[in-house]
Amino acid sequence: MDTRHATVTEFPPLTEEELDRLGDFLYRRTGMVFAENKRYYTERRIAERMTETGCGSFPIYLARLRSDIGHEIELLINAFTVNETYFYREDHQLQCLTSNLLAERIRGRNKEDSLRIWSVPCSTGEEPYSVAIWLLENWPLVDRYEIEIWGSDIDTRALENCQQGLFGRRALQRLSPALVGKYFTPVDDEHWKILDELRQSVQFSRVNIVEPADMRRHGKFDVIFCRNVLIYFDDASRRVAAENIYENLLPGGFTCLGHTESMSRISPLFEVRRFEDAIVYQRPQGTNHG
Amino acid sequence: MPLILKPREPSAQLAPQTGDGLASLASPDEDLRWTAARAAPDIPGSAAPLAAALRKEASPRVREAMFTSLARMGDTAAAVQTLPLLRSDDANLRAGALDALRIMIGNTRELLPPLLQDADVDVRVLSCELVRTLAGGEATALLCEVLQRESDPNVCAAALDVLAEVGQSEALPVLAACALRFQDTPFLAFAFQVTADRINGHSPRNRD
Repeated sequence: MDTRHATVTEFPPLTEEELDRLGDFLYRRTGMVFAENKRYYTERRIAERMTETGCGSFPIYLARLRSDIGHEIELLINAFTVNETYFYREDHQLQCLTSNLLAERIRGRNKEDSLRIWSVPCSTGEEPYSVAIWLLENWPLVDRYEIEIWGSDIDTRALENCQQGLFGRRALQRLSPALVGKYFTPVDDEHWKILDELRQSVQFSRVNIVEPADMRRHGKFDVIFCRNVLIYFDDASRRVAAENIYENLLPGGFTCLGHTESMSRISPLFEVRRFEDAIVYQRPQGTNHG
Repeated sequence: MPLILKPREPSAQLAPQTGDGLASLASPDEDLRWTAARAAPDIPGSAAPLAAALRKEASPRVREAMFTSLARMGDTAAAVQTLPLLRSDDANLRAGALDALRIMIGNTRELLPPLLQDADVDVRVLSCELVRTLAGGEATALLCEVLQRESDPNVCAAALDVLAEVGQSEALPVLAACALRFQDTPFLAFAFQVTADRINGHSPRNRD
């Protein structure tokens, strides 16, 4: 559960130079841009980390960060990621998945071939678990194919939540009571745990989407959900991320972005496919780079 | 629950980047060139061979990766190697170079003033577009200098297009003076007026 709202000590504002140094550090590690226009957000996150680590000033904290004492780099990155999501978010894309995308992906394939679906970043797990539930509920062929569902994120704390499979009322708000009853068991009045069978059906891993080697070790996928992360990157990191996604897609594979994002404005590598329920981006057939 | 979703260890990991480093930029194998292009930022001194390979590269996909790598490097060496591609006869190369330079120019802005005075009109036009990525005050200063010395109406039009978006009120007297010089060029007279109107509408000074 999120502990970010615990009491946080107030610290003096970061100087312009301190903000630049921190922004540069985060950019090199994550591809995300935190500049003057995100000063408030940045200072709140830093204050949390300084409070947590007992550092009395930013220089002391920066020294701790640079030495990576107590895995501070990972903890800082965790603090800067946004993990607000819920089940069946942008479910029109899930509808498109079962109405159109999978039909194209299984055409001409053997039943023993696996279908691979990747949610990256997966935040606290709502998206990959949503894919699993949606397939079970809405894809008649779900029993006929071996399906691998992966969820990956840079935030290791979020990944722990994924593994626990514990969700609050807000995360479940879009699911019908029948679905909640079918796939979750109540823990208390406010929390539900996803069934073990479903939890074990999704594999989780850490990944930095702008690190080619990190992405490569996950192999190739039929469909990649990459929603609402590219908006945090600058143009250079977006292009790198787009090329990574391209590499991780099988020829003809699809990627789904958030509704405010457009791959066409980032990279010409993909073909735009307009389906009834969603616009998605496809790695062209016949590009076998591997 | 008929659960048949079966995650496994990633069975189909992509091969790690292999090949003969920058030498693979000239490989007949498109995939090897793509891989080499993507790996280039991790190899010191790769900007020049990358830009040289770009001139010969026929695959749009590999070109894209090469431009992304130059943009990732983002330093003066990479920008200097990318700039000559603005003069290419190949429109795709020019467009790719412009996109990459847009990313780089914030860190290599010292290259802009000479570029805005280049002997080639087309380069001056494209350079105005690069100014769009800078902060309003800096962009206004650079483009005002352009308007004060420029004799080519197309370059002025390019400068006005950018000023209309990011220009500040310091540009207004320069616009007025330049409009007089180009009063016999009707399309520019209209552009001067539109730009001035927009600056009056969105300049921070005039909003107060």
